[in-house]
Amino acid sequence: MFFGKFIHTLTGKLILTIGTLVIVGSAFFWYFLIKHQETELINNSIEYGYSFVDYVKKSTRYGMLLMRQPLIQETIEAIGSGKGIISVRVFNNDGKITYSSDKKDIGTIFDKNSPMCTSCHVSNGHTKNTPIWSITKGKDSRVMNIVQPIYNEFDCYTSLCHFHSKDQAVLGIIEANLSLALLDKSIRQQGVAITLYVAVFIFVLSSVLGTIFWKFVTTPLNNLSQGMKRVAEGDLDHHLTINTKDEIGELASTFNSMTSDLKKTKHELVEWGNTLEKKVQEKTEAMQRAQNQIMHSEKLASLGRMAAGVAHELNSPLTGIVTFSHIIQKKFTPDTQEYKDLTVIIEQANQCTNIIRGLLGFARASTVEKIPININEVLASSLNIVRNKADFFNIKLNTVLDNSLFPVKADPSKLQQVFLNMIMNAGDAIEGKGEITITTRNINEGGNNFVEIEFTDTGMGISQNNLERLFEPFFTTKPAGKGTGLGLAVSHGIIKEHSGNISVRTKLGEGTSFIIKLPVDGEKV
Amino acid sequence: MSKGKILVIDDEEIIRTSCLRILSPEGYEIKTAGNGQDGLKMLEEETFDLVLVDLKMPGMDGIEVQKEIRSRWPETKVSIITGYQSFDSEINDADKLIAAGFIEKSFTPDILVATVEKILEEK
Repeated sequence: MFFGKFIHTLTGKLILTIGTLVIVGSAFFWYFLIKHQETELINNSIEYGYSFVDYVKKSTRYGMLLMRQPLIQETIEAIGSGKGIISVRVFNNDGKITYSSDKKDIGTIFDKNSPMCTSCHVSNGHTKNTPIWSITKGKDSRVMNIVQPIYNEFDCYTSLCHFHSKDQAVLGIIEANLSLALLDKSIRQQGVAITLYVAVFIFVLSSVLGTIFWKFVTTPLNNLSQGMKRVAEGDLDHHLTINTKDEIGELASTFNSMTSDLKKTKHELVEWGNTLEKKVQEKTEAMQRAQNQIMHSEKLASLGRMAAGVAHELNSPLTGIVTFSHIIQKKFTPDTQEYKDLTVIIEQANQCTNIIRGLLGFARASTVEKIPININEVLASSLNIVRNKADFFNIKLNTVLDNSLFPVKADPSKLQQVFLNMIMNAGDAIEGKGEITITTRNINEGGNNFVEIEFTDTGMGISQNNLERLFEPFFTTKPAGKGTGLGLAVSHGIIKEHSGNISVRTKLGEGTSFIIKLPVDGEKV
Repeated sequence: MSKGKILVIDDEEIIRTSCLRILSPEGYEIKTAGNGQDGLKMLEEETFDLVLVDLKMPGMDGIEVQKEIRSRWPETKVSIITGYQSFDSEINDADKLIAAGFIEKSFTPDILVATVEKILEEK
């Protein structure tokens, strides 16, 4: 199980690859070394074999020349009894064993086709130039067979025995079978030693490589992969501590910077999400406000149209009521009850007239005539009118007028109507005692210029409930018979016609400010 | 002796009657017509010092009648009665109103008399 996993790791693969290469390489090395050593040892053995046979030849030479056969046999037997010597035999020209370390062999004739002879002889009788040694598998160990011809020499055919003629090239052969048991043992031992060396070499190499790889590759890669896992699980604060200068160190530092970038981006996204929610909410509220304003304006407009229709129709009957009340009144002296009653009728009819005038003003369909004007001048003329009214004798009228006010394209009489309404309302709010402050200023909003006119009183302020209905026609907090509830509605309509707006800032117990904002010449809100 | 001869042209009877009842006791000679055509016919038959004409009437409206009178009888003055011309309700601007030569509905007898007198004085 562990091996199955290990083989799929980088270390496993590398160790397997290197291990295989080392084993294959070592096997070749091992094989060729052993082969080489064996060849060397065999070559040496052959050399020794030749020397040995030469030695046999020379040891028997004297016996041969004197034709002393028992001596030769004895010598051969003596030599053949040596350690590692299996047999030593001398053949004559006919393939007959004439001397042998084993006496039983003497007299045995080998046919020239026997395997023993064909190593030197081809079938037609000529000797081959091939090496005259061979190694065969023996009973216990391998056996080296050395064959050496005994060439005819001057001494041989001139010897007194005349055993050999001059014409004979080869007189016979000496054959020796030598055991290679020692050699084989040595080769085996060498093989075991080399195998051991190679095994140790492979083990050491694998260990060193594995350790190096484990330390410099696997461990940092594991750290990296664990770090990636943690980052993938959302832990963007995780920081890899791989400080090497190699590729893995570089990868780790790239990974760290990627993580911090991710963290930054995620943070920005979250921030953005939060702000987005807030922005959407703000936008929705603004849209809601605009929608409410539109609905409010539409409500006012339709109310105005209806009111104007009714008001116009009421004018003529009212004229009749007032006229005939006056006519009848003239028939009575002012001290009579009838005269007083008719006065009430006339006053009430006049109140109706006032209401109708207000309504018509509110729903005015006539076009406004806009000319460039200085708001300060219109304000000054409005103030002149109110200063002469008894209601304003105890009111302090302050003005904070900006002398460099932008000119505004507007209908001065309409604006005067609005300003008078504002001042009258302020006067009512402070109940004839206190201060009214009128301020004018230039402002810039969103690259557009506006003129702002602010009317501030020191009255009691406006409650939230009343604030919502402030601009509705017929809404009034003044005592019955005093206010028509049309002043602010009419003012609102006029300011709208001038593409401006009226806003209110109020604090209960401290006072109220009405702020009129008008676009400067040529600009629309 | 009449202080002046006035023609009131209005499609609403209550306005015609009101003018008649207010201005007659003041010493004016008042005649009335229910529409522009009738009024012009009367102007052809007799001379008037002043014509009070309603602005909004079916058929010929006050402005057309005024133009016609100014071209044919330049000596006759014309004042338009209107329910549309509105002045600020909060201030008593009767003087301004009178000066403009407009008569605003609904009017009080005093304002009507004052306006008529003012116009006729400007001879």
